[in-house]
Amino acid sequence: MIVNDSDKIRMIRENLVYMENIVVKFGKVVALDGVDFYVGRNEVVGLLGDNGAGKSTLIKALNGYHRITEGNIYFDGKHADFNSPKDARDAGIETAYQDLALVNLMSISRNFFLGREPERKFIFFKMLDQKKMDEIAARSLKEVGLKNIRAMQETVSFLSGGERQAIAIGRANYFGAKLLILDEPTAALSVTETEWVLRLVKEAKESGLSVILISHNAYEVFDVADRFVVLQHGKNYANIRRDDTDPEELIEVIAGRLKK
Amino acid sequence: MSDMEKKQFGVLDRLLRVREFGALTGLLMIMAVFTILSNKFLTWDNFISIFTTSSELGIIAIGTCFLMISGEFDLSVGSVFAVAPMLGALLSNAGVPIAIAFVISLIAAGLIGLLNGVIVTQAKIPSFIATLGSMMFFRGVLLAVSGGFPIDYMGKEAGFLNALGGKIFFGMRASGIWFILATIIFSVILNRTKYGNHVFAVGGNAGTAKAVGINVVKVKIINFIIASVLAGLAGFTMFGRFHSIDPTAGQLLELEAIASSVIGGALLTGGYGSIVGAFIGAFLIGVLRSGLILAGAPAYWYQAFIGVILVISVIVNTKIRKAVAG
Repeated sequence: MIVNDSDKIRMIRENLVYMENIVVKFGKVVALDGVDFYVGRNEVVGLLGDNGAGKSTLIKALNGYHRITEGNIYFDGKHADFNSPKDARDAGIETAYQDLALVNLMSISRNFFLGREPERKFIFFKMLDQKKMDEIAARSLKEVGLKNIRAMQETVSFLSGGERQAIAIGRANYFGAKLLILDEPTAALSVTETEWVLRLVKEAKESGLSVILISHNAYEVFDVADRFVVLQHGKNYANIRRDDTDPEELIEVIAGRLKK
Repeated sequence: MSDMEKKQFGVLDRLLRVREFGALTGLLMIMAVFTILSNKFLTWDNFISIFTTSSELGIIAIGTCFLMISGEFDLSVGSVFAVAPMLGALLSNAGVPIAIAFVISLIAAGLIGLLNGVIVTQAKIPSFIATLGSMMFFRGVLLAVSGGFPIDYMGKEAGFLNALGGKIFFGMRASGIWFILATIIFSVILNRTKYGNHVFAVGGNAGTAKAVGINVVKVKIINFIIASVLAGLAGFTMFGRFHSIDPTAGQLLELEAIASSVIGGALLTGGYGSIVGAFIGAFLIGVLRSGLILAGAPAYWYQAFIGVILVISVIVNTKIRKAVAG
Protein backbone atom coordinates (compact mmCIF):
# COMPACT_ATOMS: atom_id res chain seq x y z
CA MET A 1 0.00 0.00 0.00
CA ILE A 2 2.71 2.43 1.01
CA VAL A 3 5.68 2.60 -1.28
CA ASN A 4 7.54 5.65 -0.05
CA ASP A 5 7.47 8.49 2.46
CA SER A 6 5.57 10.92 0.29
CA ASP A 7 2.78 8.37 -0.13
CA LYS A 8 2.62 7.97 3.61
CA ILE A 9 2.49 11.71 4.19
CA ARG A 10 -0.32 11.94 1.67
CA MET A 11 -2.25 9.14 3.43
CA ILE A 12 -1.83 10.87 6.77
CA ARG A 13 -2.97 14.18 5.38
CA GLU A 14 -5.91 12.93 3.33
CA ASN A 15 -7.38 10.61 5.92
CA LEU A 16 -8.93 11.47 9.26
CA VAL A 17 -7.52 8.32 10.84
CA TYR A 18 -4.37 6.59 9.75
CA MET A 19 -3.05 3.68 11.80
CA GLU A 20 -0.01 1.71 10.69
CA ASN A 21 1.45 -1.54 11.91
CA ILE A 22 -0.58 -1.58 15.12
CA VAL A 23 0.47 -4.24 17.62
CA VAL A 24 -1.42 -4.67 20.90
CA LYS A 25 -0.33 -7.31 23.37
CA PHE A 26 -1.99 -8.27 26.63
CA GLY A 27 0.77 -10.12 28.43
CA LYS A 28 1.64 -12.94 26.07
CA VAL A 29 -1.57 -12.69 24.08
CA VAL A 30 -1.18 -10.82 20.80
CA ALA A 31 -4.58 -9.20 20.18
CA LEU A 32 -3.51 -7.14 17.17
CA ASP A 33 -0.59 -8.19 15.02
CA GLY A 34 0.54 -5.42 12.68
CA VAL A 35 -2.82 -4.03 11.58
CA ASP A 36 -3.09 -1.11 9.14
CA PHE A 37 -6.31 0.88 9.17
CA TYR A 38 -7.50 4.19 7.84
CA VAL A 39 -10.73 6.17 7.75
CA GLY A 40 -11.20 8.89 5.17
CA ARG A 41 -12.75 12.25 5.90
CA ASN A 42 -16.52 12.01 5.76
CA GLU A 43 -16.32 8.27 5.23
CA VAL A 44 -18.33 5.50 6.90
CA VAL A 45 -16.20 2.41 7.44
CA GLY A 46 -17.68 -0.92 8.44
CA LEU A 47 -15.15 -2.71 10.63
CA LEU A 48 -16.04 -6.35 10.36
CA GLY A 49 -14.80 -9.67 11.60
CA ASP A 50 -15.80 -12.67 13.61
CA ASN A 51 -15.81 -12.61 17.41
CA GLY A 52 -12.27 -12.24 18.67
CA ALA A 53 -10.94 -10.88 15.38
CA GLY A 54 -9.66 -7.74 17.10
CA LYS A 55 -12.29 -5.18 16.07
CA SER A 56 -12.93 -3.80 19.55
CA THR A 57 -9.24 -3.89 20.42
CA LEU A 58 -8.45 -1.83 17.32
CA ILE A 59 -10.89 0.94 18.18
CA LYS A 60 -9.85 0.87 21.83
CA ALA A 61 -6.28 1.35 20.64
CA LEU A 62 -7.46 4.29 18.55
CA ASN A 63 -9.43 6.00 21.31
CA GLY A 64 -6.82 5.71 24.04
CA TYR A 65 -8.49 2.95 26.06
CA HIS A 66 -5.66 0.50 25.34
CA ARG A 67 -2.01 1.45 24.94
CA ILE A 68 -0.48 0.15 21.73
CA THR A 69 2.66 -1.97 21.98
CA GLU A 70 3.94 -0.97 18.54
CA GLY A 71 2.83 1.14 15.62
CA ASN A 72 1.74 4.68 14.84
CA ILE A 73 -1.60 6.43 14.99
CA TYR A 74 -2.33 9.64 13.13
CA PHE A 75 -5.54 11.56 13.69
CA ASP A 76 -6.56 14.61 11.69
CA GLY A 77 -3.09 14.89 10.15
CA LYS A 78 -1.19 14.77 13.43
CA HIS A 79 0.64 12.01 15.24
CA ALA A 80 -1.77 11.02 17.98
CA ASP A 81 -0.38 9.68 21.19
CA PHE A 82 -3.53 9.44 23.26
CA ASN A 83 -2.64 8.59 26.82
CA SER A 84 -6.24 8.24 27.89
CA PRO A 85 -9.77 8.16 26.50
CA LYS A 86 -10.02 11.78 27.61
CA ASP A 87 -7.25 12.85 25.20
CA ALA A 88 -9.03 11.08 22.36
CA ARG A 89 -12.36 12.66 23.26
CA ASP A 90 -10.76 16.08 23.42
CA ALA A 91 -9.31 15.50 19.95
CA GLY A 92 -12.80 14.71 18.60
CA ILE A 93 -13.27 10.95 18.84
CA GLU A 94 -16.62 9.97 20.32
CA THR A 95 -17.17 6.28 21.07
CA ALA A 96 -20.36 4.44 21.89
CA TYR A 97 -19.42 1.09 23.31
CA GLN A 98 -21.72 -1.84 23.31
CA ASP A 99 -21.39 -2.44 27.04
CA LEU A 100 -19.70 0.69 28.34
CA ALA A 101 -21.79 3.40 26.74
CA LEU A 102 -23.79 4.66 29.69
CA VAL A 103 -24.04 4.42 33.47
CA ASN A 104 -27.45 2.84 34.09
CA LEU A 105 -28.24 4.38 37.44
CA MET A 106 -27.40 7.91 36.34
CA SER A 107 -29.78 10.37 34.71
CA ILE A 108 -29.94 11.06 30.99
CA SER A 109 -28.44 14.52 31.24
CA ARG A 110 -25.67 13.36 33.58
CA ASN A 111 -24.79 10.59 31.16
CA PHE A 112 -24.88 13.00 28.25
CA PHE A 113 -22.29 15.23 29.91
CA LEU A 114 -20.29 12.58 31.75
CA GLY A 115 -16.63 13.63 31.84
CA ARG A 116 -17.43 17.04 30.29
CA GLU A 117 -19.82 18.55 32.81
CA PRO A 118 -20.55 22.28 32.48
CA GLU A 119 -19.90 24.24 35.66
CA ARG A 120 -21.01 27.55 37.07
CA LYS A 121 -19.50 29.63 39.80
CA PHE A 122 -21.21 29.79 43.16
CA ILE A 123 -19.38 32.27 45.41
CA PHE A 124 -15.95 30.71 44.98
CA PHE A 125 -17.02 27.12 44.42
CA LYS A 126 -17.55 25.46 41.06
CA MET A 127 -20.91 23.76 40.89
CA LEU A 128 -22.52 21.55 38.28
CA ASP A 129 -24.72 23.58 35.95
CA GLN A 130 -27.66 21.17 36.15
CA LYS A 131 -30.07 23.50 34.39
CA LYS A 132 -27.79 23.93 31.39
CA MET A 133 -27.15 20.17 31.31
CA ASP A 134 -30.87 19.40 31.22
CA GLU A 135 -31.61 22.02 28.55
CA ILE A 136 -28.82 21.07 26.19
CA ALA A 137 -29.37 17.33 26.60
CA ALA A 138 -33.10 17.74 25.91
CA ARG A 139 -32.44 19.82 22.80
CA SER A 140 -29.71 17.56 21.40
CA LEU A 141 -31.71 14.40 21.99
CA LYS A 142 -34.76 15.90 20.31
CA GLU A 143 -32.61 16.59 17.26
CA VAL A 144 -31.70 12.91 16.94
CA GLY A 145 -35.34 11.93 17.30
CA LEU A 146 -35.36 10.70 20.87
CA LYS A 147 -38.97 11.04 21.93
CA ASN A 148 -41.15 9.93 24.80
CA ILE A 149 -38.72 10.95 27.50
CA ARG A 150 -40.43 12.29 30.58
CA ALA A 151 -37.48 14.17 31.98
CA MET A 152 -33.76 14.52 31.69
CA GLN A 153 -33.58 13.45 35.35
CA GLU A 154 -34.73 9.93 34.49
CA THR A 155 -32.11 7.23 34.73
CA VAL A 156 -31.05 5.64 31.47
CA SER A 157 -31.75 2.09 32.65
CA PHE A 158 -35.26 2.11 31.20
CA LEU A 159 -34.14 3.26 27.76
CA SER A 160 -34.17 0.91 24.79
CA GLY A 161 -31.02 -0.05 22.90
CA GLY A 162 -31.80 2.42 20.12
CA GLU A 163 -32.39 5.25 22.55
CA ARG A 164 -29.02 4.53 24.15
CA GLN A 165 -27.28 4.74 20.77
CA ALA A 166 -29.15 7.98 20.11
CA ILE A 167 -27.68 9.50 23.27
CA ALA A 168 -24.17 8.67 22.07
CA ILE A 169 -24.86 10.11 18.62
CA GLY A 170 -26.51 13.23 20.05
CA ARG A 171 -23.48 13.66 22.30
CA ALA A 172 -21.12 13.40 19.31
CA ASN A 173 -23.15 16.04 17.44
CA TYR A 174 -23.23 18.45 20.35
CA PHE A 175 -19.55 18.20 21.25
CA GLY A 176 -18.47 18.59 17.63
CA ALA A 177 -16.77 15.23 17.25
CA LYS A 178 -14.92 14.49 14.02
CA LEU A 179 -15.12 10.73 14.34
CA LEU A 180 -17.97 8.66 15.70
CA ILE A 181 -17.26 5.05 16.65
CA LEU A 182 -20.25 2.78 17.15
CA ASP A 183 -19.61 -0.67 18.59
CA GLU A 184 -22.22 -3.18 17.36
CA PRO A 185 -24.83 -0.40 17.27
CA THR A 186 -27.65 -2.55 15.98
CA ALA A 187 -27.05 -5.65 18.08
CA ALA A 188 -30.28 -6.59 19.86
CA LEU A 189 -32.29 -3.72 18.33
CA SER A 190 -35.76 -4.01 16.89
CA VAL A 191 -36.20 -3.54 13.15
CA THR A 192 -37.53 0.01 13.45
CA GLU A 193 -34.83 0.99 15.90
CA THR A 194 -32.14 -0.45 13.64
CA GLU A 195 -33.48 1.69 10.79
CA TRP A 196 -33.50 4.72 13.07
CA VAL A 197 -29.90 4.24 14.21
CA LEU A 198 -28.65 3.63 10.66
CA ARG A 199 -30.49 6.74 9.50
CA LEU A 200 -28.69 8.68 12.23
CA VAL A 201 -25.39 7.31 10.94
CA LYS A 202 -26.25 8.60 7.47
CA GLU A 203 -27.17 11.99 8.93
CA ALA A 204 -23.90 12.09 10.83
CA LYS A 205 -22.04 11.49 7.59
CA GLU A 206 -24.07 14.19 5.83
CA SER A 207 -23.14 16.65 8.55
CA GLY A 208 -19.47 15.93 7.90
CA LEU A 209 -18.51 13.27 10.42
CA SER A 210 -16.57 10.13 9.75
CA VAL A 211 -18.02 6.98 11.26
CA ILE A 212 -16.61 3.58 12.19
CA LEU A 213 -19.29 0.91 12.53
CA ILE A 214 -18.18 -2.24 14.25
CA SER A 215 -20.29 -5.23 13.36
CA HIS A 216 -20.27 -8.89 12.53
CA ASN A 217 -23.48 -8.61 10.56
CA ALA A 218 -22.73 -7.67 6.96
CA TYR A 219 -26.40 -7.20 6.06
CA GLU A 220 -27.11 -4.59 8.69
CA VAL A 221 -24.28 -2.22 7.95
CA PHE A 222 -24.01 -2.84 4.21
CA ASP A 223 -26.21 0.05 3.09
CA VAL A 224 -24.66 2.75 5.24
CA ALA A 225 -20.95 1.95 4.94
CA ASP A 226 -18.74 3.22 2.11
CA ARG A 227 -16.04 0.65 2.69
CA PHE A 228 -15.46 -2.50 4.68
CA VAL A 229 -12.37 -3.52 6.56
CA VAL A 230 -12.29 -7.15 7.63
CA LEU A 231 -10.01 -8.39 10.39
CA GLN A 232 -9.19 -11.97 11.19
CA HIS A 233 -7.18 -13.29 14.13
CA GLY A 234 -5.78 -9.82 14.83
CA LYS A 235 -4.59 -9.23 11.25
CA ASN A 236 -5.84 -7.41 8.16
CA TYR A 237 -7.85 -9.75 5.98
CA ALA A 238 -9.73 -7.60 3.48
CA ASN A 239 -10.38 -3.99 2.52
CA ILE A 240 -13.26 -3.68 0.05
CA ARG A 241 -15.31 -0.78 -1.26
CA ARG A 242 -19.06 -1.29 -1.08
CA ASP A 243 -19.37 -0.78 -4.83
CA ASP A 244 -17.09 -3.76 -5.41
CA THR A 245 -19.02 -6.30 -3.38
CA ASP A 246 -22.40 -7.48 -2.13
CA PRO A 247 -23.59 -8.72 1.28
CA GLU A 248 -23.42 -12.41 0.38
CA GLU A 249 -19.84 -12.11 -0.74
CA LEU A 250 -18.97 -10.05 2.33
CA ILE A 251 -20.25 -12.78 4.63
CA GLU A 252 -17.98 -15.27 2.90
CA VAL A 253 -15.06 -12.88 3.47
CA ILE A 254 -15.90 -12.37 7.16
CA ALA A 255 -16.11 -16.13 7.61
CA GLY A 256 -12.67 -16.45 6.05
CA ARG A 257 -13.86 -18.61 3.16
CA LEU A 258 -13.12 -15.99 0.52
CA LYS A 259 -10.06 -13.76 0.17
CA LYS A 260 -10.51 -10.50 -1.66
CA MET B 1 -57.22 7.15 34.43
CA SER B 2 -58.97 10.16 35.91
CA ASP B 3 -57.15 13.39 36.59
CA MET B 4 -57.41 12.77 40.31
CA GLU B 5 -55.74 9.38 40.02
CA LYS B 6 -53.06 10.80 37.80
CA LYS B 7 -52.30 13.44 40.35
CA GLN B 8 -52.06 10.92 43.18
CA PHE B 9 -49.84 8.69 41.11
CA GLY B 10 -47.65 11.70 40.39
CA VAL B 11 -47.22 12.55 44.05
CA LEU B 12 -46.33 8.98 45.07
CA ASP B 13 -44.01 8.71 42.09
CA ARG B 14 -42.25 11.91 43.07
CA LEU B 15 -41.95 10.80 46.70
CA LEU B 16 -40.41 7.49 45.69
CA ARG B 17 -37.86 9.34 43.64
CA VAL B 18 -36.54 10.99 46.80
CA ARG B 19 -33.62 8.70 47.59
CA GLU B 20 -34.08 9.08 51.34
CA PHE B 21 -37.79 8.30 51.24
CA GLY B 22 -37.47 4.72 52.53
CA ALA B 23 -35.13 5.62 55.38
CA LEU B 24 -37.21 8.59 56.48
CA THR B 25 -40.44 6.61 56.49
CA GLY B 26 -38.77 3.84 58.49
CA LEU B 27 -37.35 6.32 60.97
CA LEU B 28 -40.73 7.98 61.57
CA MET B 29 -42.43 4.61 62.02
CA ILE B 30 -39.87 3.41 64.55
CA MET B 31 -40.04 6.70 66.41
CA ALA B 32 -43.83 6.43 66.55
CA VAL B 33 -43.59 2.95 68.07
CA PHE B 34 -41.11 4.03 70.76
CA THR B 35 -43.16 7.12 71.55
CA ILE B 36 -46.07 4.81 72.34
CA LEU B 37 -43.88 2.39 74.32
CA SER B 38 -42.16 4.99 76.51
CA ASN B 39 -43.20 8.47 77.56
CA LYS B 40 -39.53 9.40 78.03
CA PHE B 41 -38.70 8.76 74.38
CA LEU B 42 -39.97 11.90 72.70
CA THR B 43 -38.19 14.40 74.95
CA TRP B 44 -35.51 16.99 74.23
CA ASP B 45 -33.00 15.34 76.57
CA ASN B 46 -33.43 12.00 74.90
CA PHE B 47 -33.23 13.54 71.45
CA ILE B 48 -29.92 15.18 72.40
CA SER B 49 -28.52 11.96 73.79
CA ILE B 50 -29.52 10.05 70.64
CA PHE B 51 -28.07 12.75 68.45
CA THR B 52 -24.73 12.70 70.30
CA THR B 53 -24.15 8.98 69.84
CA SER B 54 -25.54 9.17 66.29
CA SER B 55 -23.08 11.93 65.46
CA GLU B 56 -20.01 9.84 66.16
CA LEU B 57 -21.37 6.97 64.08
CA GLY B 58 -22.82 9.37 61.51
CA ILE B 59 -19.57 11.18 60.71
CA ILE B 60 -18.04 7.80 59.87
CA ALA B 61 -21.13 6.76 57.95
CA ILE B 62 -20.89 9.82 55.68
CA GLY B 63 -17.36 8.88 54.62
CA THR B 64 -18.29 5.23 54.29
CA CYS B 65 -21.33 6.10 52.18
CA PHE B 66 -19.31 8.42 49.94
CA LEU B 67 -16.80 5.61 49.39
CA MET B 68 -19.52 3.01 48.88
CA ILE B 69 -21.11 5.08 46.12
CA SER B 70 -17.79 4.92 44.28
CA GLY B 71 -17.98 1.14 44.61
CA GLU B 72 -15.62 0.34 47.48
CA PHE B 73 -15.82 -0.52 51.20
CA ASP B 74 -13.69 0.43 54.13
CA LEU B 75 -13.79 -1.95 57.09
CA SER B 76 -10.84 -0.22 58.76
CA VAL B 77 -12.79 2.93 59.72
CA GLY B 78 -13.61 1.49 63.16
CA SER B 79 -9.89 1.04 63.85
CA VAL B 80 -9.01 4.48 62.46
CA PHE B 81 -11.75 5.87 64.77
CA ALA B 82 -9.50 4.81 67.67
CA VAL B 83 -6.06 5.20 66.03
CA ALA B 84 -6.41 8.92 65.26
CA PRO B 85 -7.43 10.13 68.75
CA MET B 86 -4.97 7.69 70.38
CA LEU B 87 -2.16 9.20 68.33
CA GLY B 88 -3.49 12.65 69.23
CA ALA B 89 -3.55 11.77 72.94
CA LEU B 90 -0.02 10.35 72.87
CA LEU B 91 1.34 13.38 70.99
CA SER B 92 -0.38 15.96 73.17
CA ASN B 93 0.63 14.16 76.36
CA ALA B 94 4.20 14.33 75.04
CA GLY B 95 3.88 18.11 74.87
CA VAL B 96 2.70 18.74 71.31
CA PRO B 97 -0.03 21.42 71.25
CA ILE B 98 -3.38 19.66 70.86
CA ALA B 99 -4.33 21.52 67.68
CA ILE B 100 -1.14 20.38 65.98
CA ALA B 101 -1.56 16.85 67.38
CA PHE B 102 -5.09 16.89 65.93
CA VAL B 103 -3.88 17.88 62.47
CA ILE B 104 -1.05 15.32 62.53
CA SER B 105 -3.49 12.59 63.60
CA LEU B 106 -5.94 13.40 60.82
CA ILE B 107 -3.07 13.36 58.32
CA ALA B 108 -2.12 9.94 59.70
CA ALA B 109 -5.74 8.84 59.21
CA GLY B 110 -5.56 10.15 55.66
CA LEU B 111 -2.39 8.16 55.06
CA ILE B 112 -4.15 4.98 56.23
CA GLY B 113 -6.88 5.78 53.70
CA LEU B 114 -4.24 6.36 51.03
CA LEU B 115 -2.66 3.02 51.88
CA ASN B 116 -6.04 1.25 51.63
CA GLY B 117 -6.77 2.97 48.33
CA VAL B 118 -3.39 2.19 46.81
CA ILE B 119 -3.57 -1.47 47.86
CA VAL B 120 -7.09 -1.89 46.47
CA THR B 121 -6.48 -0.10 43.17
CA GLN B 122 -2.92 -1.20 42.44
CA ALA B 123 -2.93 -4.79 43.70
CA LYS B 124 -6.49 -5.03 42.32
CA ILE B 125 -7.84 -6.95 45.29
CA PRO B 126 -11.34 -6.56 46.75
CA SER B 127 -11.56 -3.69 49.22
CA PHE B 128 -13.36 -6.02 51.61
CA ILE B 129 -10.18 -8.07 52.04
CA ALA B 130 -7.71 -5.19 51.89
CA THR B 131 -9.50 -3.16 54.54
CA LEU B 132 -10.27 -6.21 56.69
CA GLY B 133 -6.51 -6.65 56.80
CA SER B 134 -5.86 -3.03 57.69
CA MET B 135 -8.68 -3.09 60.26
CA MET B 136 -6.98 -5.98 62.08
CA PHE B 137 -3.50 -4.58 61.62
CA PHE B 138 -4.23 -1.14 63.06
CA ARG B 139 -6.39 -2.48 65.88
CA GLY B 140 -3.53 -4.80 66.78
CA VAL B 141 -0.98 -2.00 66.70
CA LEU B 142 -3.29 0.08 68.87
CA LEU B 143 -3.67 -2.63 71.48
CA ALA B 144 0.06 -3.39 71.46
CA VAL B 145 1.06 0.27 71.87
CA SER B 146 -1.46 1.06 74.59
CA GLY B 147 -1.18 -2.30 76.34
CA GLY B 148 -4.97 -2.41 76.13
CA PHE B 149 -5.45 0.44 78.62
CA PRO B 150 -7.28 3.69 77.94
CA ILE B 151 -5.16 6.81 77.63
CA ASP B 152 -6.33 9.97 79.35
CA TYR B 153 -5.68 13.45 78.05
CA MET B 154 -3.16 15.06 80.45
CA GLY B 155 -2.92 18.49 78.79
CA LYS B 156 -4.67 21.67 79.84
CA GLU B 157 -6.12 22.77 76.51
CA ALA B 158 -9.60 21.44 77.24
CA GLY B 159 -11.15 24.14 75.06
CA PHE B 160 -9.98 22.52 71.86
CA LEU B 161 -11.32 19.10 72.83
CA ASN B 162 -14.60 20.65 73.89
CA ALA B 163 -14.90 22.28 70.48
CA LEU B 164 -14.74 18.79 69.01
CA GLY B 165 -17.04 16.88 71.30
CA GLY B 166 -17.88 18.98 74.35
CA LYS B 167 -21.22 20.41 75.39
CA ILE B 168 -22.20 23.59 73.57
CA PHE B 169 -25.79 24.70 74.10
CA PHE B 170 -29.12 23.18 75.21
CA GLY B 171 -27.15 20.11 76.22
CA MET B 172 -26.13 19.54 72.64
CA ARG B 173 -22.56 18.48 71.90
CA ALA B 174 -20.21 19.94 69.30
CA SER B 175 -20.04 16.60 67.52
CA GLY B 176 -23.61 17.21 66.37
CA ILE B 177 -22.50 20.38 64.60
CA TRP B 178 -19.65 18.53 62.87
CA PHE B 179 -22.09 15.80 61.87
CA ILE B 180 -24.51 18.27 60.32
CA LEU B 181 -21.70 20.23 58.63
CA ALA B 182 -20.14 17.07 57.17
CA THR B 183 -23.55 15.96 55.91
CA ILE B 184 -24.14 19.26 54.13
CA ILE B 185 -20.64 19.52 52.67
CA PHE B 186 -20.48 15.98 51.32
CA SER B 187 -24.06 16.03 50.14
CA VAL B 188 -23.34 19.14 48.08
CA ILE B 189 -20.10 17.66 46.72
CA LEU B 190 -21.88 14.45 45.76
CA ASN B 191 -24.94 15.95 44.10
CA ARG B 192 -23.85 19.34 42.87
CA THR B 193 -20.26 19.07 41.69
CA LYS B 194 -18.38 17.51 38.83
CA TYR B 195 -16.44 15.38 41.28
CA GLY B 196 -19.65 14.01 42.77
CA ASN B 197 -20.86 13.12 39.29
CA HIS B 198 -17.63 11.19 38.75
CA VAL B 199 -18.10 9.38 42.09
CA PHE B 200 -21.50 8.09 40.90
CA ALA B 201 -20.04 7.11 37.53
CA VAL B 202 -17.06 5.25 39.00
CA GLY B 203 -19.33 3.23 41.28
CA GLY B 204 -22.08 2.79 38.72
CA ASN B 205 -19.86 1.48 35.93
CA ALA B 206 -16.10 1.84 36.27
CA GLY B 207 -15.57 0.82 32.63
CA THR B 208 -17.85 3.59 31.35
CA ALA B 209 -16.20 6.09 33.66
CA LYS B 210 -12.80 5.13 32.28
CA ALA B 211 -14.10 5.29 28.71
CA VAL B 212 -15.28 8.88 29.10
CA GLY B 213 -11.92 9.87 30.54
CA ILE B 214 -12.54 9.80 34.30
CA ASN B 215 -9.51 8.77 36.35
CA VAL B 216 -11.16 5.88 38.20
CA VAL B 217 -8.13 5.07 40.38
CA LYS B 218 -7.78 8.68 41.51
CA VAL B 219 -11.45 9.00 42.47
CA LYS B 220 -11.32 5.77 44.49
CA ILE B 221 -8.12 6.69 46.32
CA ILE B 222 -9.46 10.16 47.19
CA ASN B 223 -12.63 8.55 48.56
CA PHE B 224 -10.63 6.10 50.68
CA ILE B 225 -8.78 9.09 52.13
CA ILE B 226 -12.05 10.95 52.80
CA ALA B 227 -13.55 7.90 54.55
CA SER B 228 -10.47 7.52 56.72
CA VAL B 229 -10.13 11.20 57.66
CA LEU B 230 -13.82 11.39 58.61
CA ALA B 231 -13.37 8.27 60.76
CA GLY B 232 -10.44 9.99 62.49
CA LEU B 233 -12.53 13.12 63.02
CA ALA B 234 -15.35 11.04 64.47
CA GLY B 235 -12.86 9.44 66.86
CA PHE B 236 -11.74 12.89 67.97
CA THR B 237 -15.31 13.93 68.73
CA MET B 238 -15.51 10.95 71.11
CA PHE B 239 -12.13 11.88 72.55
CA GLY B 240 -13.54 15.38 73.06
CA ARG B 241 -16.51 13.90 74.92
CA PHE B 242 -14.53 11.71 77.36
CA HIS B 243 -11.07 13.40 77.30
CA SER B 244 -9.85 9.82 77.23
CA ILE B 245 -9.52 7.22 74.53
CA ASP B 246 -9.98 3.49 74.84
CA PRO B 247 -8.00 1.30 72.40
CA THR B 248 -11.07 -0.86 71.87
CA ALA B 249 -13.23 2.12 70.88
CA GLY B 250 -14.95 1.89 67.53
CA GLN B 251 -15.14 -1.87 67.28
CA LEU B 252 -18.09 -2.84 65.04
CA LEU B 253 -18.57 0.82 64.10
CA GLU B 254 -17.45 0.00 60.55
CA LEU B 255 -20.37 -2.40 60.20
CA GLU B 256 -22.82 0.05 61.74
CA ALA B 257 -21.54 2.70 59.32
CA ILE B 258 -22.18 0.40 56.39
CA ALA B 259 -25.60 -0.43 57.87
CA SER B 260 -26.38 3.31 58.16
CA SER B 261 -25.46 3.89 54.52
CA VAL B 262 -27.47 0.93 53.30
CA ILE B 263 -30.52 1.85 55.41
CA GLY B 264 -30.16 5.30 53.86
CA GLY B 265 -30.52 3.82 50.38
CA ALA B 266 -26.91 3.26 49.32
CA LEU B 267 -26.28 0.33 47.03
CA LEU B 268 -23.67 -2.11 48.32
CA THR B 269 -22.26 -2.49 44.81
CA GLY B 270 -21.88 1.25 44.26
CA GLY B 271 -23.34 3.86 41.95
CA TYR B 272 -26.31 4.79 44.07
CA GLY B 273 -26.81 6.35 47.48
CA SER B 274 -27.35 9.47 49.51
CA ILE B 275 -25.37 11.26 52.19
CA VAL B 276 -28.55 12.57 53.78
CA GLY B 277 -29.76 8.97 53.70
CA ALA B 278 -26.67 7.87 55.65
CA PHE B 279 -27.39 10.68 58.12
CA ILE B 280 -30.91 9.34 58.62
CA GLY B 281 -29.57 5.77 58.81
CA ALA B 282 -27.13 6.66 61.58
CA PHE B 283 -29.83 8.53 63.46
CA LEU B 284 -32.19 5.57 63.08
CA ILE B 285 -29.61 3.26 64.65
CA GLY B 286 -29.24 5.72 67.55
CA VAL B 287 -33.03 5.84 67.94
CA LEU B 288 -33.18 2.08 68.06
CA ARG B 289 -30.50 1.87 70.75
CA SER B 290 -32.12 4.48 72.95
CA GLY B 291 -35.69 3.41 72.29
CA LEU B 292 -35.10 -0.21 73.25
CA ILE B 293 -33.48 0.79 76.53
CA LEU B 294 -36.34 3.17 77.35
CA ALA B 295 -38.88 0.52 76.40
CA GLY B 296 -37.26 -1.74 79.00
CA ALA B 297 -35.67 -4.25 76.63
CA PRO B 298 -32.25 -5.64 77.70
CA ALA B 299 -29.48 -3.78 75.88
CA TYR B 300 -28.44 -6.95 74.06
CA TRP B 301 -31.57 -6.85 71.94
CA TYR B 302 -30.26 -3.78 70.20
CA GLN B 303 -28.05 -5.64 67.72
CA ALA B 304 -30.77 -8.15 66.94
CA PHE B 305 -33.13 -5.32 66.06
CA ILE B 306 -30.58 -3.54 63.89
CA GLY B 307 -30.15 -6.79 61.99
CA VAL B 308 -33.86 -7.02 61.31
CA ILE B 309 -34.19 -3.35 60.36
CA LEU B 310 -31.18 -3.63 58.07
CA VAL B 311 -32.61 -6.50 56.06
CA ILE B 312 -36.10 -5.00 55.87
CA SER B 313 -34.76 -1.63 54.76
CA VAL B 314 -32.62 -3.17 52.03
CA ILE B 315 -35.61 -5.10 50.70
CA VAL B 316 -37.75 -1.95 50.66
CA ASN B 317 -35.01 0.26 49.23
CA THR B 318 -34.28 -2.26 46.48
CA LYS B 319 -37.95 -2.40 45.48
CA ILE B 320 -38.20 1.38 45.37
CA ARG B 321 -34.95 1.74 43.42
CA LYS B 322 -35.95 -0.88 40.86
CA ALA B 323 -39.22 0.94 40.30
CA VAL B 324 -37.88 4.44 39.85
CA ALA B 325 -34.26 4.05 38.76
CA GLY B 326 -33.89 0.57 37.31
